Amino acid sequence: MNDDNTVSADNHDDTTDFGYTRVDRAAKASLVRGVFDSVASRYDLMNDLMSGGVHRLWKRFTIELSAARPGQTILDIAGGTGDLAAKFSRLVGNEGKVILADINAAMLEVGRDRLIDKGAIGNIEVVQADAQALPFKDNSVDCITIAFGLRNVTDKDMALRSMLRVLRPGGRLLVLEFSKPTSAWLGKVYDQYSFQLLPVMGRLIAQDADSYRYLAESIRKHPDQDTLRGMMDEAGFVDCRYHNMTGGIVAVHQGFKA
Amino acid sequence: MTQHDPALLSAALMGAERALNQAIALAPTSHQALDGLSGTLIGIEITSLSLEVYIELLSGPELRLMSHCEATPNTLVRGTLQDFAALAAADDPASVLINSGIELQGSSSSLIALQQVIAGMDIDWEAPLVERLGDVAGHQIAETLRGVFRWSEGARASLKRQVSEYLLEEGRLTPPAAELEYFFEGVQSVSNQVDRAKAKIDKLLAKAAERGVSS
Repeated sequence: MNDDNTVSADNHDDTTDFGYTRVDRAAKASLVRGVFDSVASRYDLMNDLMSGGVHRLWKRFTIELSAARPGQTILDIAGGTGDLAAKFSRLVGNEGKVILADINAAMLEVGRDRLIDKGAIGNIEVVQADAQALPFKDNSVDCITIAFGLRNVTDKDMALRSMLRVLRPGGRLLVLEFSKPTSAWLGKVYDQYSFQLLPVMGRLIAQDADSYRYLAESIRKHPDQDTLRGMMDEAGFVDCRYHNMTGGIVAVHQGFKA
Repeated sequence: MTQHDPALLSAALMGAERALNQAIALAPTSHQALDGLSGTLIGIEITSLSLEVYIELLSGPELRLMSHCEATPNTLVRGTLQDFAALAAADDPASVLINSGIELQGSSSSLIALQQVIAGMDIDWEAPLVERLGDVAGHQIAETLRGVFRWSEGARASLKRQVSEYLLEEGRLTPPAAELEYFFEGVQSVSNQVDRAKAKIDKLLAKAAERGVSS
């Protein structure tokens, strides 16, 4: 099993990670799109089953860290099925705005329908956008969140720079992402769960074991806590820090634009 | 860096928030008063557990519980877990608030207003039972539950009175409350006199130092 949590040499050749496989950089976006097209309709159900509902607690704490208040503009990248956007919509009120962005049209479609069903309309815009080249004005957003999305981005450094550009000075970025467990025994249990149980659950519920195997592999290839903090520093964010949750299985990173 | 696992704390707060909001939804007579407090932020800091919890009152009315908040609370209450436990169990919370180690920062009026609204909440437990079980069964179960609550309230009050009587009259283990209060007032009075005397001595010493007299 590959436990390499260091950043791959993405920037130095024409290939990149797609789980444990090296693929052409240009091909990764369409491969990731294939995964999320496949799981979109059952994404929330699978998240609940995979995490035992704990993903709601991780997202709840992320929302607290955002310090979102009425009148602000919040950009939720890789917002998928819109659960964070729905919460932000209430916090920013009618005078604020929430932009739900995702590169994947199938996920956005599910998210938009779900938001309408919840009555979260009026202050939410839905935009299909690539995190590496955000189609928004410089200094136009108070807070950016990206929950369980950064690991699927081909060039993470480019995406971080793009987010920094869009943020207003004093604005903050919150990256909620799977990370590295802080204890060895938890890491072993987590590995067993991810590589044995998760694909079986994916096959039974979403009829798609491969996509869920990719999700587990992509988590292992994602930078660990300190590496990601370093990448945020490198991109130009200041006062970067992280909070481990559930023994480091997930971490939320926070950085500000000076 | 947060000391507690934020996910664990979020789980506890999420459960409490749901229960409180459910109770508020079942007490329509309190809605107007709670709406008046909308926008109020109360912080509770439990120093012995290094734990902070924030209560935000939203329109609706609704409560939001948070473990992290960057806004300045209207009221911040700080104390140990024992202090808060004593406050929760007290018959006279105002007296416990004054005499315990609980520290209050900011405006106490919003805290008192919230406490009064919560204390005066008339929760209609029958409504959800009727909704789920129908008029007859729902009402019967609600009546039974009301009886159990009344009995347990009576039993609790009776037990408290009997224990108090035993400690005071039979065992003579504790002094009566009035005697204790008189004693505390005396202690407070002596403490104030000592403070005043110290202030006077400090003033005299400062004057003496100004005139160049060695103390």
